[in-house]
Amino acid sequence: MDAGILLQILFWGIYAGCIYILLATGLNLIFGVMKIVNFAHGEFLMLGAYITATLFLFSGINPYVIILFSMLALIGIGAVVERLCFRPILGTGKLNEIFLSIGLIYVIQNAAAMIWGDEWQSVKSPYAGITVPVGTLTVPLDYVIIMVVTAAILCGLYLFLNRTRTGREMRAASQNRKGAMLVGVNVERMDILSFGIGCALAAAAGTLWVVSGQVFNPYMGSIPAVKAFAIIILGGLGSIPGAIVGGLLYGVAENGAAYFLGGVWKDAISFVILIVVLVIRPTGLFGERGE
Amino acid sequence: MNRTHKLSIILIAIVLIALFSAGCAEQQATTTTQPTEIKVGVIASLTGPASNVGKNMWQSAQVAADEINAKGGVSVGGAKVPLKLIVGDDESTQQGGQKAATQLITGDKVDILVGGYSSAVTSAYEQTVAEYKIPFVVTGASSPIITHRADIDTSYIFHHCPTTDTYGQYTTKFIDQVVRPAVNAKLGASADRPFRLALLYQDTAFGKGVQTAVNDTITKEKLNIVLVSQQSFKMGESDFRTPLTAIKAANPDAVYLGAFPNEGAPAITQGRRDIGLNTIYLNVENNDNAQFYKDLGQYGEGAIIESRFSPYTAPAGTIAQAQDTFKNAYYAKWGTYPDMMGASTYEGVYIATQAITNAGTTDKAKVRQALVDLNMPQIIEAMKGGTISFSKDYRESQFDLWMEQLSYNATIGECRPFIVWPDNLRVTGFVLPSWYTPGNA
Repeated sequence: MDAGILLQILFWGIYAGCIYILLATGLNLIFGVMKIVNFAHGEFLMLGAYITATLFLFSGINPYVIILFSMLALIGIGAVVERLCFRPILGTGKLNEIFLSIGLIYVIQNAAAMIWGDEWQSVKSPYAGITVPVGTLTVPLDYVIIMVVTAAILCGLYLFLNRTRTGREMRAASQNRKGAMLVGVNVERMDILSFGIGCALAAAAGTLWVVSGQVFNPYMGSIPAVKAFAIIILGGLGSIPGAIVGGLLYGVAENGAAYFLGGVWKDAISFVILIVVLVIRPTGLFGERGE
Repeated sequence: MNRTHKLSIILIAIVLIALFSAGCAEQQATTTTQPTEIKVGVIASLTGPASNVGKNMWQSAQVAADEINAKGGVSVGGAKVPLKLIVGDDESTQQGGQKAATQLITGDKVDILVGGYSSAVTSAYEQTVAEYKIPFVVTGASSPIITHRADIDTSYIFHHCPTTDTYGQYTTKFIDQVVRPAVNAKLGASADRPFRLALLYQDTAFGKGVQTAVNDTITKEKLNIVLVSQQSFKMGESDFRTPLTAIKAANPDAVYLGAFPNEGAPAITQGRRDIGLNTIYLNVENNDNAQFYKDLGQYGEGAIIESRFSPYTAPAGTIAQAQDTFKNAYYAKWGTYPDMMGASTYEGVYIATQAITNAGTTDKAKVRQALVDLNMPQIIEAMKGGTISFSKDYRESQFDLWMEQLSYNATIGECRPFIVWPDNLRVTGFVLPSWYTPGNA
């Protein structure tokens, strides 16, 4: 077995993991604060991909800059969805949340198909074709940027949650909603903010998907959303470190399975890991009892 | 026997004769009643991963219907009847296909079906087609199992597109006769150097069909080709970096992709741009699609497509004129160019209506027999012997194929195809690009 090939596959796994991490972290943030199950989270990844691609094609601005616009746009869209759809049914039962989010999948997919068409599309990064040395590997620059951008976003999220008053209020709402309300935290504001930030993280994942040269269409979000759910269950519901470790583990495992077992195992291996972890540790890798 | 009894017997006889006559008349009326419209169901992937090709199929069918209706409609029993197309969206899924086929057959009560793209999807709803005995002209799904399978009655199903067996064999022979000598010449290697071929195929009936065809052709024809890597991927996959890394490690001379256009374009782009696998990528015919060229950009340079209809080229002669007429009509209606699956679906509508005309009725069994007996002139694609007919064993039509090589046009920012094989059709010769790196093992 050539160590160079294993390193290369590890690299592709980390790249895939970056997209999963952003998607799963956003989903976990929303679940942590609002305790809602949003199966339409992948659709926000799709919207982020389209917004970035559209702005890039019309303006020619570097897509790594556009990621900020895309995230801002999704904060707004997420806030509207939270206010109009999820807030009215909050606390009315998980079935309502599940069916609402399934309905949202169809609504958002069809809206995207009406706006952008439902054919697959792709864009080319301005850095396509540029390679850089990373250790013993020579890899495309885009993937290094993707990893750096992911790390930067996670650092930004960490600082927000730990060093700002709003971030601390959000964590308080996540840890104990009633307790947070009693000490004066506006939990409805935290709901709308966490939903918006969660959607923005999905938009970042969508942007990185686009600049890495993968094709996208309005139906692209469903499978990543399912995987994001598996990741947050694996990592532990509500645990952001769990989402990071879980995302990386899934990315590496998928690519390892594709290499050693064949492409058909790429999705299946993730769920094999999930089953094994849940059997051994039902709360997930970083989860706490009661979540 | 008294008079009353005799009268009773006569009356009963009259009633029986009258009832029998009425029955005959009714039966005759059933078979001779002129339909008010001919309903052709078109099954296509209007949504989901295969929607690009599916829309092309549906739009091409509409071009054919417009032409037929402009001439008065379908001739049935000497009268012209309007043609009505009804589309069923298979949603690029097996469940969607089952739903679409059931709705078209039992809800819309179509007279005949045309279309079907993904072999995995099409084979899932074939059972419904078989149960209701609806004639079905398959114009997109290329796995031979469509008409070869023995678990259901496929006698009402006709295959109007080359199978993976046909084009897999054709492409493998092209590799042996054209690419292998060119690589040997570049390497300065002896003619007996084995050609190192890698396969990257969709893990479905279609992709496995390509894999089987290549393996079988190499074995049966005793070709000097060795398969150095065979990697599979799921339908709709968009990240091919790991299987391409494995392929690169095997040092191939070329990579044959059993993929749809939305998979083939990113696979080639990732192979050339991200993996540095600077080799010849051979593609199956469904990739001869305008979106494929657009997505490939400069990375398509040197790639090969096995083809029978291209948006951008055609063999010189009458077929080129017929194809141009179709392309222009399609462009005038839809503002884009048709692809290969569109072309065969366009023909599929003509085949379906011709069968109804020949049968003189919409009776399913008679239309099926008309398809069995069909012998109509080729339309826009070159057919063996210049006619469209279905083989007696598995009801497959026989196409003339060719191989194209892509050349990058910097002005338009896309590649364009040039026919390089066979010799009687080629406009230029096959060349290895300057950046091409052969396998070094």
